[in-house]
Amino acid sequence: MLIRKKLLVFGALALTAALATTGCTSRDSGGGSDGGGGGGGDDQISVAFVPKLQGIPYFEAMNAGGKAAAEELGIEWLYQGPTTADAAAQADIVRSFIQQGVDALIVAPNDPDSMAPLLQEAADAGIKVATSDTDAPNSVREVFVNQASVDGIGEGLTDALLEAMGGSGKYAIVSCGETAANLNAWIDVQKAYTAEKYPDAEIVDTVYAGEDQAAATSMATDLMNAHPDLTGLVGECTSSAPGVAQAVSDAGKVGTVFTVGLGTPQSMKPYLEDGSSSASILWDVEALGYLTAWVGLQLAEGTELEATNNVSDDLPEVTYDADSKVLLLGPPLKITTENVDDFDY
Amino acid sequence: MTTVTRESPAAPIAKRILPPPVTGQELVLVGVIVVLWVLLGIFTPSFLSPSSIQPLLVSVAPIALIGVGMTFIIITAGIDVSVGGAIALCAVVTAKLLVNFDVPLIVAVAVSMLLGVVLGLINGTLIAYGRVHAIIITFGTANIFQFFALRVFGSSTVNGIPSTLDVFGRGEAGRTLGVPHSFAITLVIVVLAWWYLRNTAGGRHLFAIGGNANAARLAGVRVQPRVVLAYAVTGALVGLGACFFIASGTSTLDQGVGAGRELAVIAAVVIGGTSILGGRGSVIGTLLGAILVQTVNSGVTQLGWPSQLANLFVGIFIIIAVGTDLLRERTRRSRA
Repeated sequence: MLIRKKLLVFGALALTAALATTGCTSRDSGGGSDGGGGGGGDDQISVAFVPKLQGIPYFEAMNAGGKAAAEELGIEWLYQGPTTADAAAQADIVRSFIQQGVDALIVAPNDPDSMAPLLQEAADAGIKVATSDTDAPNSVREVFVNQASVDGIGEGLTDALLEAMGGSGKYAIVSCGETAANLNAWIDVQKAYTAEKYPDAEIVDTVYAGEDQAAATSMATDLMNAHPDLTGLVGECTSSAPGVAQAVSDAGKVGTVFTVGLGTPQSMKPYLEDGSSSASILWDVEALGYLTAWVGLQLAEGTELEATNNVSDDLPEVTYDADSKVLLLGPPLKITTENVDDFDY
Repeated sequence: MTTVTRESPAAPIAKRILPPPVTGQELVLVGVIVVLWVLLGIFTPSFLSPSSIQPLLVSVAPIALIGVGMTFIIITAGIDVSVGGAIALCAVVTAKLLVNFDVPLIVAVAVSMLLGVVLGLINGTLIAYGRVHAIIITFGTANIFQFFALRVFGSSTVNGIPSTLDVFGRGEAGRTLGVPHSFAITLVIVVLAWWYLRNTAGGRHLFAIGGNANAARLAGVRVQPRVVLAYAVTGALVGLGACFFIASGTSTLDQGVGAGRELAVIAAVVIGGTSILGGRGSVIGTLLGAILVQTVNSGVTQLGWPSQLANLFVGIFIIIAVGTDLLRERTRRSRA
């Protein structure tokens, strides 16, 4: 009796879990074929993009840009990613695109090293391969679509903050993952550039809050208490950028402590408006998606990239470095109260 | 069963049945916290100033609040690892209500708590009547709650949350006479829960269930409804805690809300001296545990030490707390 009851509950649980999972996957594939439009048309060039994970605003914005490009350029845009930032799940999706025999396959790898052999496999199958957003440098990828240079982001953040701080003073950085390579690279640039260009400014501390808004906010509060003469804070990722601004606003220090960060426009809007954030440094994520789709088409058609490429009216001068095979979206975007309403993500 | 026991008169029993109002572990925790606060007061510029203690208490509030429910559950020898997912679901539903319908404070809190109760009832019913271990059930529901939360998020953050919930926040609106509202509410609930656990039959039944569920059943305790109640109470507190989380976050809610909070809550409960084996525990200890953890987090940042040291210290506290609990249990058994 008891055992039967247990079995029943387990069965019910397994069923619910299965439902939940299939609910997820069916939505994903729905999104994929949705982006596909025609679906496996032979005459149309198909470009597949595999993001790090599906369902977050960042990659959804890239998807929107890719879809727009597909319509304008007359190609098929396939978009599917894992529901967690998991390298193995991502590899499965990449394999399925290889099976489908798409013309161009572009990946934002969760784990660049484990992605390299898969990209080789794709290239062997005659598929043109590229990376976007995150590179896999030791792979056969033919192009890396870089959203912004490390120097561009690091210097952009520093200039925007020091402009608000009046060129001098103490500031601190609230970063996110301790091992996030891109964030750490930006921080290195910020440190070197601050020391070089702003000798009267000093970075007093760098703390790591994880991808956790509440932790970022409370750490920013602690930093202001630890350094009563602090006049600046940087939120290094999309969760800590609004976090540091909220902390300044909660502490009633708007106008005394200035913040900048890498925040998405809509999340930063209230803080830009109340002055607790001076600027957000980011890139145009939809344009990055557009450029990714465009590159897929060029690769599939075998068109050589020029040193400067006229991609569209919005992207008239996209530079390409043939030695490193890196296509650069452009200088980072500075988001302020002036232009924040131009972006709907 | 008769209620009269042989030989001993009733009055002394009644006295002996009531446990001491504070336990040794709680006094130790108070001591540790006082020492840490004094040291931090000396070695940092402004740890003991209101501008530092007030936000600390605001961060403590939701963890301690949900910790009250978790203490109930762990006393019954259960556990709830789904509170992270439940927080995410309550928070996103509440945030969407605030953004899309601009509902008043009372409606937001009521909806969030009601939703929390429903989630708690799901957990409690499956655990009490399904008789599968709580960690399995709540691990399952954690994923399911998270799934629904992500569906409500719908691939986007919730932006532009109005300031309705600021009364629970870190800012000026969140305080009266310098005391953060969220912490004051938490304190009241801790005291009520302390009284309930110590002085009422229902409260004592929770301990009996955790000590030995079969013995409790034979003694006439209605085990299953009590267990369901413990999870439902936790659900209600998760709902209120989700409002606190929204208030102490930013005007944007992202999918990260609630992530890992189940572990923060369980850490506070365990450090507070509640036995993970069930049958013993206190909500005052949980409050102190939550304060200790947040003191460590804030202290590490204010001292300018590397952030990862906070994990190390919290980990050490958990090991010490669980270690002393297990040692105590062993001595008790060998004596008996």
